[in-house]
Amino acid sequence: MANVSFQKIEKSFGKVKVIHGISFDIADGEFVVLVGPSGCGKSTLLRMLAGLEEITAGEIAVDGRVVNELDSKDRDIAMVFQSYALYPHMTVRQNMAFSLRLRKADQGMTQQRVANAARILNLDALLERYPRELSGGQRQRVAMGRAIVRDPKVFLFDEPLSNLDAKLRVSMRAEIKALHQRLKTTTVYVTHDQIEAMTLADRIVVMHDGIVEQIGTPLELFDKPGNLFVAQFIGSPSMNVMNGILKMSGAAAHVDVAGQLWPVAAGAGGVDGQPVSYGVRPGDLSISEAGEAGAQTVAATVIVVEPTGAETELLLQVGEHQLVLVMHGRTSAQPDDIVHLIVDTEKTHLFDATSGSRLG
Amino acid sequence: MAAPLFENPWGGPAGNFAPTLVTACTALPPEGTLALGAARRSSIREFMSKLSLKKVTTEAKLLLVGIPVFLWTIIPVYHMFLFAISERESATSGRLWPKNPTLQNFDHVFNQKHFYLNHFWQQLGNSLWIALAVGAITLVVATMAAFAISRLKVRGGRTVLNMALFTYFIPAAFLAVPMYKTMATYGLLDNHWSLILAMVTIASPYCIWVLKQASDKLPFELDEAARMDGATPLQLFWLVYLPLMLPSLVAVGTYALLLAWNEYLYAFLLLSKETDLTLAVALGNFLAADDSPWELLMATGFLYALPPAAIYYAFKRYMVSGLTAGAVKS
Repeated sequence: MANVSFQKIEKSFGKVKVIHGISFDIADGEFVVLVGPSGCGKSTLLRMLAGLEEITAGEIAVDGRVVNELDSKDRDIAMVFQSYALYPHMTVRQNMAFSLRLRKADQGMTQQRVANAARILNLDALLERYPRELSGGQRQRVAMGRAIVRDPKVFLFDEPLSNLDAKLRVSMRAEIKALHQRLKTTTVYVTHDQIEAMTLADRIVVMHDGIVEQIGTPLELFDKPGNLFVAQFIGSPSMNVMNGILKMSGAAAHVDVAGQLWPVAAGAGGVDGQPVSYGVRPGDLSISEAGEAGAQTVAATVIVVEPTGAETELLLQVGEHQLVLVMHGRTSAQPDDIVHLIVDTEKTHLFDATSGSRLG
Repeated sequence: MAAPLFENPWGGPAGNFAPTLVTACTALPPEGTLALGAARRSSIREFMSKLSLKKVTTEAKLLLVGIPVFLWTIIPVYHMFLFAISERESATSGRLWPKNPTLQNFDHVFNQKHFYLNHFWQQLGNSLWIALAVGAITLVVATMAAFAISRLKVRGGRTVLNMALFTYFIPAAFLAVPMYKTMATYGLLDNHWSLILAMVTIASPYCIWVLKQASDKLPFELDEAARMDGATPLQLFWLVYLPLMLPSLVAVGTYALLLAWNEYLYAFLLLSKETDLTLAVALGNFLAADDSPWELLMATGFLYALPPAAIYYAFKRYMVSGLTAGAVKS
């Protein structure tokens, strides 16, 4: 159990700089997810914490102790790899006991710890098998078991679920979360899947092109994305964004998107005539029941209706923009119908059109 | 490079030439179904016949190549065997099977009953010891080099590898005299170590190359996982790397061992005392006389050829997978 701190971390591969001064702290027992598109530097950051990559500049501290110059083996950090990296010539038991064997730990304690981890992960029956005799999900659990047995200060996960099929991924996700709730070990988890990030994290670090875009709890990022990148990266389906001009008229404000007026949340910043990006999540749009135009509604043409059972997703055309709407239940709307959209005004988002940062 | 004497007959393609029986699928449904169906059936039949024709020609071509290759390799061996079980007088009679086949020649060999065979067991022992030593030392050298270059990524590893390849631009025969000179300088002539060291020198570059390529195929995450688990490089080498490299190690070790077992030129140059000779050189000495005992030469040769054949056959599986692992430069 330990806190982790990144101070002005930079990383270059030769002349190419991939991480540009990242600083943030992870509290003891926290589950932090690093998320971002591929090539954003999240795995590199994790590998620097693990001691598998040199740190070009800055400091990483674990439990208040700077670990820059420490070997991975002296950092007391365990890592679960994307490919699991199980030793093919060892049984599950030997795989899990390997780190203790290297430390020449007492036999009895080793066996007890392995048995413990195996019970937590439901691996009891598989202890004498070889990795090649296991399914993907079981291998994944062995990789986690290998980390648990060590009782390290920090757990690292590098895209651990990306080799699993969709169904297994969901159940393993829940297992990882349950495991963390049980062990309460500080955890850093890297993924490119924002749903994994949302469901697992205490706090999410959104990275893009080697910088941190925003740090916050999952719902903070969802409700108040700090910039256009985070707004579009977090949430599925992703946020509808249209470019327009901010129009202030007294207390009320609207965004003029090609002549169509969209309502803006009260208290949103910005000045009259400012070019802005207007964002609204698919779940914050709804269809007017009356089916009639009103002062606050926007007319749209239905292009595609996609029922998923509990929810229905509609692809709509408004002017030159295509918008996605998600509604609970079902709809009678058909393609080519004209519908009138109601916007949940308080849940709209405004971003500066040039810088992309949030207004208000 | 000297190839093992008996590579082909046991490991070669001879076994795989039985033509697979091509049974054309001619069972047809009863007449009188729709014309459309009939048309489709006939086109399927056409396709089937084309397919089987192709198969037949492939098999025929393989046989056409395979039978001569098989004969080519087996006839000399059979000839040797024939000599070995013939009496001295009838050895060169040219018959396909001797009139009075005998095992007497083997008795002569085993009991060292001939001038040329006075040290047979000693020389067989020499060959064995030298081959085993070369195999073992080459393995140690090549494994460590491959581990350092491929897994620890030491500086200059690439250069070492390129130099290893470069050694094969110079035929080993060209180096025989310089090697003789070097061994003389170190006072190693007439000492088994001179031959062992020379053979290790010749075998190592290829073995390093093959092992390097093979170890490149092990996922690097394994090393990282072991490092995270607290392994030192040496522990990584013993506990993770070696067990996983075992098939390649067997292949490479066997290669070096057979290379040394079959070596003639260097053994001939570097060793001269009769009790120090390897069997390969001793066999060569049979031809020193005008009236060579061919039947004994062939009997000894036949015995000499058995261990490599046995080793090769035992490790055939590893030889194929292990040596081709490094076949393509990635």
